Amino acid sequence: MRILTLVKLTVDISQLKYESSGDPLMDIVPRKMGDSDKCAVEEAVRLKEKYNAHTVVVTIGSTLDHERIIRDAYAMGIDEGYIVEVDGYENLQAITVGEIVKSIVEMTGPYDLIILGAGSLDTHSYTLGPIIASKIGIPVIAGVDSLNYIDGCFEARCVMEDGTYIYRSKPPLIVTVTTEVNEPRIPTLKTILKSKKMEIKRLKIENLKVKLEKINILDIKRYVIQRKNIIWDASEDLEKAIDNLFKLLVSGV
Amino acid sequence: MNFEFSEDEVRFRESVREFCRRYIEPRWVEIDEKGRIPVDLIKKMGEQGLFTIPISEEYGGMGGTITMTAIAAEEIAYHDPSVATAVYTLLNNGWPLLVERYGKEDVKKEILPKVSAGEAFYGIASTESHGGSDVAGIKTTAVKKNDVWILNGEKTYISGIREIQELPEGGGYFLVAKTGKPEYGHRNITAFNLIVKWNGKIRQGWKPTIFEEIGRRGISTGAFILENFEIEDKYRIGEENKGFYYLMEGFNVARILVAAATIGSGRWALDQAIEWVKTRRLFEGRPLASFQGVSFKLSELYGELEAAKLLTYRAAWLADKIYIEKNPKWKEKDLNIPAALCKMKAPEATTKIYEELMKWYGAYAYTKDCNAFRGWLGTFSYTIGAEGAQNIMRIIIARDLIGREYVKG
Repeated sequence: MRILTLVKLTVDISQLKYESSGDPLMDIVPRKMGDSDKCAVEEAVRLKEKYNAHTVVVTIGSTLDHERIIRDAYAMGIDEGYIVEVDGYENLQAITVGEIVKSIVEMTGPYDLIILGAGSLDTHSYTLGPIIASKIGIPVIAGVDSLNYIDGCFEARCVMEDGTYIYRSKPPLIVTVTTEVNEPRIPTLKTILKSKKMEIKRLKIENLKVKLEKINILDIKRYVIQRKNIIWDASEDLEKAIDNLFKLLVSGV
Repeated sequence: MNFEFSEDEVRFRESVREFCRRYIEPRWVEIDEKGRIPVDLIKKMGEQGLFTIPISEEYGGMGGTITMTAIAAEEIAYHDPSVATAVYTLLNNGWPLLVERYGKEDVKKEILPKVSAGEAFYGIASTESHGGSDVAGIKTTAVKKNDVWILNGEKTYISGIREIQELPEGGGYFLVAKTGKPEYGHRNITAFNLIVKWNGKIRQGWKPTIFEEIGRRGISTGAFILENFEIEDKYRIGEENKGFYYLMEGFNVARILVAAATIGSGRWALDQAIEWVKTRRLFEGRPLASFQGVSFKLSELYGELEAAKLLTYRAAWLADKIYIEKNPKWKEKDLNIPAALCKMKAPEATTKIYEELMKWYGAYAYTKDCNAFRGWLGTFSYTIGAEGAQNIMRIIIARDLIGREYVKG
């Protein structure tokens, strides 16, 4: 079994700080592997341990943080890693990423399973899995919270609003996972030190013959909560005060 | 000069932080309140490789460094500011280092993998009731008969008494005892692996008791009596009558790790303080932070903690040169002053932060609803003693500055 895992470098939202104006300090926020991508890596490594699979990880970008998340994937147990070197990776369109993944699959594949996080922490588009599926022409199961391999087929569970769906598909298959699928292992010092010695292969975007489509992010603003400072004196007419409050709440405050 | 942590160190810190967020932070108050680190957590910490970090892989260790051990102690203490789990961690890293350095090959392979896995505890037993600082004056004796040492005496204020009894394999201590004529002073002390419970069985001649402590309650402290306790000679550590010197080496490393742990707790206290003074408003809605009496103090406390941190990691760096890299440029004694400096500064910087934090909290801090007291009491333990009292640190430093002939202790 051969498994390709895709990981994205995203901001660590838990460490995001803001100016007093409400603007996020994007330049200093630490970057990390996306949470659901980390779950995808964990799922790939579990399949490797169970079925002796060969696991490959790919990320797109050209910073030292990209190298770090590949090493993080190695420290979790991934066997082989690629960085697709692109400047301005933050603004890549999902459709371009789909093209890049298609090229990588052609160069390094075939794969029985392509697994990635269902959505990234920053853009939340949830479209990448289906886009890759359409580019490569294989089935996709999106938003999976349980994945098994039974009698030569992948069996995936998705919990939706109207019920729980169980899907079964033969390889090759694309699966996007939610953070409910597993609790990713934490690399130990031994695996961290071992991952440092592993080779990272680099691919230039120019060699993939992919047309780069980008969207520019113009501005990011924090939600700002402003107090209305409306006070009713409830000492004389409590019911009226409650009525006023109720009207205000209904009006959408 | 380079003040950056290496990439390995940064990634290791992140992994420890993630472990702490998942498994220690949600339980630290319970650990302090109930007065015990659950055995399942100790096991999990062992599986994560948080014990025997600087020990070679051939003995079950992680193949890391003393700096990495300090990082682990600091991060764990940030997430358990009572410092109990950090102290458990640093003991099971620092003292096994002496076993690896001076122990016999088969004993290393017997003891270290079990400590590494979190199945056994390994700590330090040197203090006696007459006073922990006077190591040369210990009264516990070890007398050799054929190939066996017979130990008699008592040790007190010893960590890990209950943990040894509760862990599946047990564990023991780096213990020092008198082995020759009393007039030889510190040149009359030999070090042993005192394994009091092994393969799940408590050995004859070890009579433990556990104390009720006011802080850092997760890790037990107690005392034990040794009555004709037998130790095979192979469990002796290093050469006979050189135990004092090995002990001083162990204390140097332990002081760095204790300093790192108190810094972790201090960072937590400082974060609580910053959050509180920014959000607490009084006198017509002014945040506490807008009063210079508060903000200036906060700056001073931060400066003290940063200074202690620099001293600590500089000492850890030097310890790595000596013990991990074995760089001949430095000798063991070169670590005396840097280790004493960080142990002198870090616990005091942290307890000062707690004192101010609790004053800024006001009456709330004097209730058990506010957890600041747990960190305060836990770190205060290291301004009292443990790995050497604070004034012993001052003696070590003064001896170097002024000369041994002026500083008699």
